[in-house]
Amino acid sequence: MATRVERFDPSDVAAQPHRYFRRKYVWQWPIRAFHWVNAICILVLFATGLYIANPILSPTGEAYGNFVMGRVLQVHYTFAFIFIVNFLWRIYWFWMGNPYARSGFPFVWKASWWRDLFRQAGDYLALRRGHVHLGHNALGGLVYTLFVIFLGWAQILTGLAMYSESNPGGFWSGIAGWVIPLAGGSFQVRMWHYLFAWVFITFSIVHVYIVFYDGQQYKNGLVTSMISGVKFYQEGDIDCDNWIS
Amino acid sequence: MSLKPGMSTYDVLREHGVDRRTFLRFCTATAAAMGLDATMVPRVVEALENKPRIPVIWLHGLECTCCSESFIRSSHPITQDIIFNMISLDYDDTLQAAAGRQAEEIREALVRDHPGEYVLAVEGNAPTRDGGVYCTVGGRTFLDILQETAAKAKFVVAWGSCASNGCVQAAHPNPTGAKPVKDLISGKAVINVPGCPPIAEVMTGVLTYVLTFGRLPELDRFGRPKMFYGKRIHDKCYRRAYFDAGQFVETWDDDGAKKGWCLYKMGCRGPTTYNSCPTFKWNNGVSYPIQSGHGCLGCSEAGFWDNSSFYDRLTSIPVPGIEATPELIGKTLAVAAGVGVAAHFTSFMIKRGIGSKTENVEDGKD
Ligand code: SF4
Repeated sequence: MATRVERFDPSDVAAQPHRYFRRKYVWQWPIRAFHWVNAICILVLFATGLYIANPILSPTGEAYGNFVMGRVLQVHYTFAFIFIVNFLWRIYWFWMGNPYARSGFPFVWKASWWRDLFRQAGDYLALRRGHVHLGHNALGGLVYTLFVIFLGWAQILTGLAMYSESNPGGFWSGIAGWVIPLAGGSFQVRMWHYLFAWVFITFSIVHVYIVFYDGQQYKNGLVTSMISGVKFYQEGDIDCDNWIS
Repeated sequence: MSLKPGMSTYDVLREHGVDRRTFLRFCTATAAAMGLDATMVPRVVEALENKPRIPVIWLHGLECTCCSESFIRSSHPITQDIIFNMISLDYDDTLQAAAGRQAEEIREALVRDHPGEYVLAVEGNAPTRDGGVYCTVGGRTFLDILQETAAKAKFVVAWGSCASNGCVQAAHPNPTGAKPVKDLISGKAVINVPGCPPIAEVMTGVLTYVLTFGRLPELDRFGRPKMFYGKRIHDKCYRRAYFDAGQFVETWDDDGAKKGWCLYKMGCRGPTTYNSCPTFKWNNGVSYPIQSGHGCLGCSEAGFWDNSSFYDRLTSIPVPGIEATPELIGKTLAVAAGVGVAAHFTSFMIKRGIGSKTENVEDGKD
């Protein structure tokens, strides 16, 4: 896309003499909806998943009076399906949205993408301001691709494989049943699903931090942009999303 | 085996003095075991009355003979006699009277004279390392005998976990290179009947099905008959109510254990195991592991020896050199991320503290 940022407007300076910000609507509402639904799903799935892996509550009384594990599984399944539908929705919006909806794609065949990747990593490590992006920077895009998209698929497929086990040969087993022999058995599938869940949490910790850091460092309104959709840039900033097509 | 070839099961039973009532009871029980409804019982009766018994060659490779032990204890179809007379067990080196050269001749003659007619039942599997020398019968490697006999068989029944998926001798590090039957022969249908051992009623059920309908039972993607391996232990377990309630045994002697709560936290493999134990149970339907208060070991699942301790809920990471549970790795990752974030944040704050004194240094701007 390589949108060039227009030279800043002198009238803006009059309005905000101390900081010459401009706004741009970057994240369309489907992206923002996806993000928050995804975040809630991951939190709920992780919490319920921890209980399923290691059920620490032990209700007393007769079995008919309790439904703890059953309920937790129900919640887990429900949010898992919301997660999947949300995921498919995001894939749809990858094609339908504005160019920023595609800016996280790892454009590995483009030299400019690789340059941006290393420059961004260097900027983060050296705590430099560096250049500003309105979409995803290459590093962010790569991390989202690996830790949200790939890992998301891994969780969906291992999860559906386990879900399908109560009805082998059924609909879900037709879709995800092949995962079980691939992983070397159903017990292995559980192990991976559990490990990946922790990787999700690891990602989330880094993600939340980087978002706040990035917002502070670049003064681009990154945190609020996931609510309003608007990002800010300053006079003199160059839009570096030049690998986006 | 002194019986004339071509005799039906019923003929043989009559000769042995089994009355018709007992025979019909057997047919009904077998039909029920195969999951057939009452209208199908006449088909079972008809088949066992008229069809000549299936000649069976029963080979023993690397194994412990627990499948045979289970099979000869089959109790559901009333008498062991019936089971043994249902098939024409022409060669079984563990059970037959003949020995040595005489025994091998029986097998060779069957392969030569009845190609495509006999069923090959294999108990155990074959080691493949060093040319298969770790299991030899009558001076030949078992691998060789297995392939030769399988080549002319009608189809192959792989008894037990050894023959179906390798079992203990194929467990890591598998020193003899043992491989399950389906990996050693080609071009033949293989029915996998896993379990260590498989349930006797399941074994006879498979044979009766083949005899009754003259075809293989419906198999799942692992080659197991769906009628016996179509449901998880967990989905038929009588302790499932406690699982759903969230009531779990925590130690072998706690209150939950006495009340018969779910064994999930004690490593029960019920949720990952397909078998008929909760339905048929063992030893004339007396009990089965979970009913006896011990979790399922998952003995009918591939690689069950390698899934870490039988008392662990989650297996360890199967990457060589990493002896850690996913729990440990996961928590380490999360903590490492936290530490990294804290370090970055601290240096950011320090730099900003310095920066505010030196007035807005913005470096690296392009
Ligand atoms: S005892 Fe095992 S098979 Fe039975 S409900 Fe509990 S986990 Fe499932």
